[in-house]
Amino acid sequence: MFNLIRRDVILQKRQLLIFIPTILSFIILDKHHPAFIFIIASIIIPFSTYAYDEKAETNILLNSLPYTRTEIIASRYLGAIVYMVLAIVVTSLALFAFNKPFAMTDIAIASGLFLLFAAFTFPLFYIIKPGYFFMAVLITFFLLAGIGPAIVLFLAEHLAAITNFITNLSVPTLYTGAALVVIGVYVISWGISTVIYHRKAF
Amino acid sequence: MQIIISNSSKEPIYEQITNQIKSSILAGELQEGTAIPSMRNLAKDLQISVITTKRAYEELEKAGFIYSIVGKGSFVAEQNLEVIREKKLKVIEEQLSAVITNSREIGLSLDELQQLLKILYEE
Amino acid sequence: MENVVELKNVTKKFKDFSVENIDLQVKQGFVTGFIGANGAGKSTTIKMMMNLLKPDAGEVKLFGLDYKTHEKAIKERIGFVYDGNVFFEGLNLKDIKRIVAPAYKHWDDTLFFQYIEQFELPLNKAIKTFSKGMQMKASLAIALSHHAELIIMDEPTAGLDPIFRRELLALLQELMVDGNRTIFFSTHITTDLDRIADYIALMQSGELVLNKSIHDVAEDYALVKGGMDLLDRDTEKDFVHIHRASTGFEALTNNIKAVKNTFGDTVVIERASLEDIMYYLKGGIHHV
Repeated sequence: MFNLIRRDVILQKRQLLIFIPTILSFIILDKHHPAFIFIIASIIIPFSTYAYDEKAETNILLNSLPYTRTEIIASRYLGAIVYMVLAIVVTSLALFAFNKPFAMTDIAIASGLFLLFAAFTFPLFYIIKPGYFFMAVLITFFLLAGIGPAIVLFLAEHLAAITNFITNLSVPTLYTGAALVVIGVYVISWGISTVIYHRKAF
Repeated sequence: MQIIISNSSKEPIYEQITNQIKSSILAGELQEGTAIPSMRNLAKDLQISVITTKRAYEELEKAGFIYSIVGKGSFVAEQNLEVIREKKLKVIEEQLSAVITNSREIGLSLDELQQLLKILYEE
Repeated sequence: MENVVELKNVTKKFKDFSVENIDLQVKQGFVTGFIGANGAGKSTTIKMMMNLLKPDAGEVKLFGLDYKTHEKAIKERIGFVYDGNVFFEGLNLKDIKRIVAPAYKHWDDTLFFQYIEQFELPLNKAIKTFSKGMQMKASLAIALSHHAELIIMDEPTAGLDPIFRRELLALLQELMVDGNRTIFFSTHITTDLDRIADYIALMQSGELVLNKSIHDVAEDYALVKGGMDLLDRDTEKDFVHIHRASTGFEALTNNIKAVKNTFGDTVVIERASLEDIMYYLKGGIHHV
């Protein structure tokens, strides 16, 4: 299964070369919050693989090779984490090299948001017809970015009890709680994708 | 071992193979104990299916012309040429008797018959 | 003689098409040809063999194993060649090998490079630049490089020129010489199989209408031609389908012995090619 994760790199060798300068340019421009840069960096590899996988032949190939459907999905989810870590490491080094400051919280927020985003969009890939995936991702992104804060404010106003509870938590507990939620959502998404993929006909 | 098959002949391919190998053996071209190609190699050389050569070899084995050893291949069996000759002579006798009967029916003389035989033999 | 593939009563239904009650065995060590018109259900059946589709009913077993419990073990032993390229078209053979090879326990690099050389394939050009024939050869090279026992080919010669098809068949025959491999070859170009197939399976409108060795096919089926006056309600029964014309009739029989008994020398009996059989079993020309 490690090989399935590795294939993303082999597939996208050239794109990676563009990846690094892009990230560097983001950093140099200095207009963006480091967390934002971390997220963009993490997204690139896992999501472009989906662009490749949209082709029907890829699924036929992967399912003709000695891999189970469970493994194929697992490689996507684990791969996303692996590539996220790699992207963060590379970006951190770049930021460090350019003397741009960033904090652990930036990394934490970025990874949390990235994993949430992935958790919401990955299953969509297996449901939506090929070709529409990109649209779906964009829509989800704008929905989350647009409605997300609105929901948070709504909760804050009307459910004072919860808000009080959260603000009264100590920072470590807050972060642990958030981490658990993110992991939980990710795992559920993994489960859903696996079930959908097992049922698919190629 | 030379085998030429015809796709346009009415005779099924496996029969052509069987007959040609049989002739070679009886004519002494294939000696006792000689190894003949495996059915798969023969299929490949003749560009036909394995199941056809398999059938040909099975027929040859049944008729006692070849024998096979698993893992080693197929070989020409010991031929009792005398016995085969006897059998063939008998068949020739029967056929000639029929020819003679037919000739008598239309009044063909022995000379005319021999002439006919000479012409046909030399064809 | 073991059955490498066994389909028992397999059924798969789609919206406007279904494959029903397929009982198919592929015998080890032989070439089984899978023929049928376009849309007959061949690709669906092959997809079920590869577990790309799951049957609605019935059992699919390969090497005596079930996909539910032995999916990886089965796929290790299969080499596949599909119609059209399934490998990442933007990659070259070197990179494709890097992705595919680790998937197989028995991948053999030496074999792979041997085939690449034999087929004269470039290692450093993207697959999308290959001609159709080269793409097929590439798929075949990969399929043969992990000591696969079963090679499944779905319309591999579609769109290839006759010379190339002949070369491919010669190559397949070479592969069959050691007796350890089984080839399952689907095509709608029956002349490809007339020579090298050992067994024939014929699909028509989602059903398996024929599943025999070529000997049985040759012994049972033949084309019969004769004068129209020979046909009446009784004699018609010996035929699967009759094509009538002012010059006489041509028909397919699945019982040569009966025809010989009935008609004797009054008809011409000829070997039926696979194409003849396919055509007549379908019912000949439909009234236009």
